[in-house]
Amino acid sequence: MAAGLVAALLLALYLRSDETPSPAAAPRRGGQIVASIRGEPRSFNRLVARDQPTELLTILTQGRLVRINRATFELEPWLAEKWDSSADGRVHTLHLRPGVTWSDGAAFTSADVLFSLQAVFDPKAQSVLADSLLAGGQPIRATAPDAQTVVIRFAAPSGPGLRLLDNLPILPRHKLQDALAAGRFASAWSSGTPPAELAGTGPFVVREYQPGQRVVLDRNPRYWRRAADGGPLPYLDRLVLEIVPEQNAELLRLQSGEIDLTTGELRPEDYVPIRQAEERGRLRLIELGVGPDADAFWFCLKPEVKGKDPRFAFVRRPEFRQAISHAVDRETFAETVFLGAAVPVWGPVTPGNRGWFWPDVPRYPHDDARARALLAGIGLEDRDGNGVVEDARGTEARFTVLTQRGIGGYERGIAVLREELGRIGIVLDIAPLEFGAMIQRMLACDYDAMYYRPVASDLDPAGNMDFWLSAGSAHFWNLEQRAPATDWERRIDTLMLEQAASLDPERRRQQFTAVQRIFAENVPVLYFVAPRMYYAHSVRLRGVVPSVQRPPVLWNADSLSVAP
Amino acid sequence: MLVRFLARRVAFALVLVLVVSSAALLLARLAPGDVTSQLGPFASAGEVAGTRARFDLDRTPSGQWLLWLGRASRFDFGDSFLYNRPVRGLVARAAANTAVLAAAALAVATALGIPLGMLSGSRRSAAAALIRGLSLVCLSLPPLLTSLVLVFIAATTRWLPAGGMTSVDALDMRWSAWLADVALHLPLPTLALALPIAATFERLQAQSIGDALQQPFVLAASARGVAPRDLIVRHAWPVSLRPICAVYGLAIGALLSGSFVVEFVTAWPGLGRLMYEALRARDIYLVAGCAAMGGLFLAVGSLIGDLLLAAADPRLRERRAG
Amino acid sequence: MKRAGRWLLALVALVAVAAPWLAPNPPDRSFSNSLYAPPTRVHVVAWKPVIYPQRLINRLERRFQEDVTRPAPLRWFTAGRLVSVPEADGGPLLLLGADAFGRDIFSRLLYGARASLALAAISTLAALLVGALVGGIAGYAGGLLDDLLSRFTEFVLVLPAIYVALALRAAMPLVLPPSTVFVLLAAIFALLGWPIVARGVRAIVASERERDYVTAGRALGATPWRVLSRHVLPAAAGYLSVQATLLLPAFILAEATLSYVGLGFPDTVPTWGTMLQDAANVSLVGEAPWMLAPAAAIFLVVLAVNLSVQGTGRAPVQLEP
Repeated sequence: MAAGLVAALLLALYLRSDETPSPAAAPRRGGQIVASIRGEPRSFNRLVARDQPTELLTILTQGRLVRINRATFELEPWLAEKWDSSADGRVHTLHLRPGVTWSDGAAFTSADVLFSLQAVFDPKAQSVLADSLLAGGQPIRATAPDAQTVVIRFAAPSGPGLRLLDNLPILPRHKLQDALAAGRFASAWSSGTPPAELAGTGPFVVREYQPGQRVVLDRNPRYWRRAADGGPLPYLDRLVLEIVPEQNAELLRLQSGEIDLTTGELRPEDYVPIRQAEERGRLRLIELGVGPDADAFWFCLKPEVKGKDPRFAFVRRPEFRQAISHAVDRETFAETVFLGAAVPVWGPVTPGNRGWFWPDVPRYPHDDARARALLAGIGLEDRDGNGVVEDARGTEARFTVLTQRGIGGYERGIAVLREELGRIGIVLDIAPLEFGAMIQRMLACDYDAMYYRPVASDLDPAGNMDFWLSAGSAHFWNLEQRAPATDWERRIDTLMLEQAASLDPERRRQQFTAVQRIFAENVPVLYFVAPRMYYAHSVRLRGVVPSVQRPPVLWNADSLSVAP
Repeated sequence: MLVRFLARRVAFALVLVLVVSSAALLLARLAPGDVTSQLGPFASAGEVAGTRARFDLDRTPSGQWLLWLGRASRFDFGDSFLYNRPVRGLVARAAANTAVLAAAALAVATALGIPLGMLSGSRRSAAAALIRGLSLVCLSLPPLLTSLVLVFIAATTRWLPAGGMTSVDALDMRWSAWLADVALHLPLPTLALALPIAATFERLQAQSIGDALQQPFVLAASARGVAPRDLIVRHAWPVSLRPICAVYGLAIGALLSGSFVVEFVTAWPGLGRLMYEALRARDIYLVAGCAAMGGLFLAVGSLIGDLLLAAADPRLRERRAG
Repeated sequence: MKRAGRWLLALVALVAVAAPWLAPNPPDRSFSNSLYAPPTRVHVVAWKPVIYPQRLINRLERRFQEDVTRPAPLRWFTAGRLVSVPEADGGPLLLLGADAFGRDIFSRLLYGARASLALAAISTLAALLVGALVGGIAGYAGGLLDDLLSRFTEFVLVLPAIYVALALRAAMPLVLPPSTVFVLLAAIFALLGWPIVARGVRAIVASERERDYVTAGRALGATPWRVLSRHVLPAAAGYLSVQATLLLPAFILAEATLSYVGLGFPDTVPTWGTMLQDAANVSLVGEAPWMLAPAAAIFLVVLAVNLSVQGTGRAPVQLEP
């Protein structure tokens, strides 16, 4: 009898130790993961620096009032637990989550929210976020009736509304107040700050930053969020951001297991070795879907600079750009440049931006004859038989295209363009430049044409006003116009300002659809394909919810865990 | 005499450092684009202006130079845009890392190259031919390829870490464990740096010892009955060191100013990699600081080289005295 | 060994000159269905060499399959090429596969030999000449001139050359013809390379200067130049030959680095350095080792140079009046 009991006990112990994870097993607590980043973080203060590593660090160490879920694009309560909005959408009363503390133990209150907004709009601070937190051109105002409530006022109705607050990390008043008062906020919390000086409400805290090597983050024991089972988050004990500037070395380390994940997507040429690593059971390859950004090709259309250029007379005609759009075979483009992993697009908004993409955007099907007819219509024909079209005065359609040196995708893309346009008589000379030189020329309109992928900061068009508005700093074919240079740009200006102020989502979508139509008809910038984004991470990772926006996995870092 | 020689060299070294860093500053202004390109194409005008003011780019090149000179005399070399901290500390730490690597690479290259060169240059055996062949192979492989191959081998075999100077866990280690960790990361970049230099030493040593063995005084000693081993080591070798010493100083200087290719591929946080990142980002004061440190190292290296040369060839010492 | 080296060099030079004839395809022709294609295997069917056209199965996975139903014979001495397979028949003939643009690597290797080797050879010669001159003068003269020249040498060594290149690039028009690029690159490389040579030559000359035969020569009335060029500099020949073998591959690769800052040949002119860079960007060393053909080529050339200069350099022995 006793033997039987012992046997049963032993059996029970044996069965217990043989832990085959059941599908509903709780994520394991503890462990560390290593992610790679491409550059040094410029600062720990997101309010004054907009580089990607700083953005990532802020996501990991700081909290916001509300969060836009990067996978579902829904607005989620975060540091604000619930809110009431007025009928006209201009006043929102947010109730802060009770019991939240900073990582150094101080209590989180509405004073911190007021402080952060004050810092954003302080002229000495020169915050990079100032332009993104406007409603009707006016700063967002906030007041705090008590320590747990904040009242946000928009000066004018704002389409995105509370979603704008996803851009604002809340910084600790007790740590930065002195710097703001003394006018030193712009240099506060720079990357040389000792980690003990930092505090946040995010899932991790900075343990150490070794310049040139890595940033080490430990879990924040005072993190407010709880797991589904009521236990504390994050699951991980440590998160290391390894600085690996070279993409091939990064890939090698990913394959060998030294890194668990990268913060950028894979290139199409990396697909094969990653697939093999997946077959060997080391990595998991996921397709994120179509990316929200596409490579752009445009001519500088600034009359003040290009007015005297004889080619400008025909470049400024929309028919010229429409002809180019007809001449490019987008299928071939996708196959050659992205090895088939791309979809054709005809505008800056891609199918990857599900909320705002308009499938019926006017298309320009591949038709060389139509392209040539359009060119002939504005007086461009090959009169001397040398394969290049020219206008009546003999000015040839020959352009120098700038692109960034060293990016395989750009080099392949512009090579395909050169071939496709050569067939209809437009000659492109390619000048790959190093990044700094290229940017300098772009800002000065010191170029004929450019091929580059500017990344939009926000999927919501109201977050990209500097691209759409003619006075915008990202309206790159004709930067920062004092008054709209063309009639259609004026119409886009009007529509965009309307949709930014409209509260009805359906109306906003209609207005933006109209904008996309005007853009497609006048084609100031040509888009050809939007790449599918692939991503890989180590099989150790659990709880991965991928997103097409960067960072693809770490946006949800508090729910990541490692396999037992 | 030695004191005067040293004093002159030190003075020249300072002038070199000054001229090099000033030239770097000026060139950085001449090259298109500046540090504000790092802010991305869509930075606001205020951001750009603020950054330019912070790095004195709104002044004329000569005005900026004078300002920098004034601060440098107080050992303030400005701030780095990339790393947001004073250039002084960054360059010092990177220089120390590179010095460690350089010392290791030099030691390995000397320990491998000189004896093997003596061996292969003094006889015609199969071993000599094998050494010569290996040297030729190492010499014919550019350092970029060597480092890529080594990193690839390390990554696939996982015998050694495939890059970096410390592991992630180094943070919590004690001194002794930290040293062991660095020692584990050292072989990869050291080999990549040392192999071509070892091959150079081997080739030069083989050639010069071959030449030296043909000298009349060696023949005379051999006729006197000196044993072959002694002939080589005690008579021919010291004379054969001349070209090696010439290259030695240069090798020290070059290693110290950092082979950026190797440091880049193996992610060793040294001066070469820092300089490369600074150049790419147009981080003007960091570039000047790195150039200054590189100049200093080169001056030190060539000084050591010249001293070695004088030590190896007494006639030079006399010439210096005269 | 020396002869083997010389023969190898001669072979390489011959291949470079005869590239347009030896290459099966034009170097800038992109075959859009052959991106990253593996080398075409040549089979022997009925005593004739044939290839099977490669069908593209999946672009992203880079999978190709030979279509054994359509053997295409190799055509010799047609269209001005030694051997080729026209695309209509089932070509292209990709002896070393294709790169990211679908261009024939073998043809680019042959054509690339011209630009890379010519540039590297001329730059190396220039660097050796200038370096030997400056180093020789410094070592022979001694004193203040020696100090000045040596410090100037160090200055050029430590200068951030990439900024010089960038500043130069900015001063030039955006699109440069290949000949201008060639001259510019050769000048820059010579400027980069001479200090390294000068240092070593100076040290050798400085020590040789004290030798008896030099003193004797001067006593006999030989001018410094004569002594320098006829007797002292040849002592540095061994060192110079070793330096040549170091500079040559460095310049081949430096061309690729400079092309990063825009100071390279347009992409219609293949060079070994840029081909290697493209190969390094693809991270498939294990799968597509043929892409590293330029590395093997560089290695062979440098090996050949190394073999040829072995044993060069007389021991400085007798004086000649």
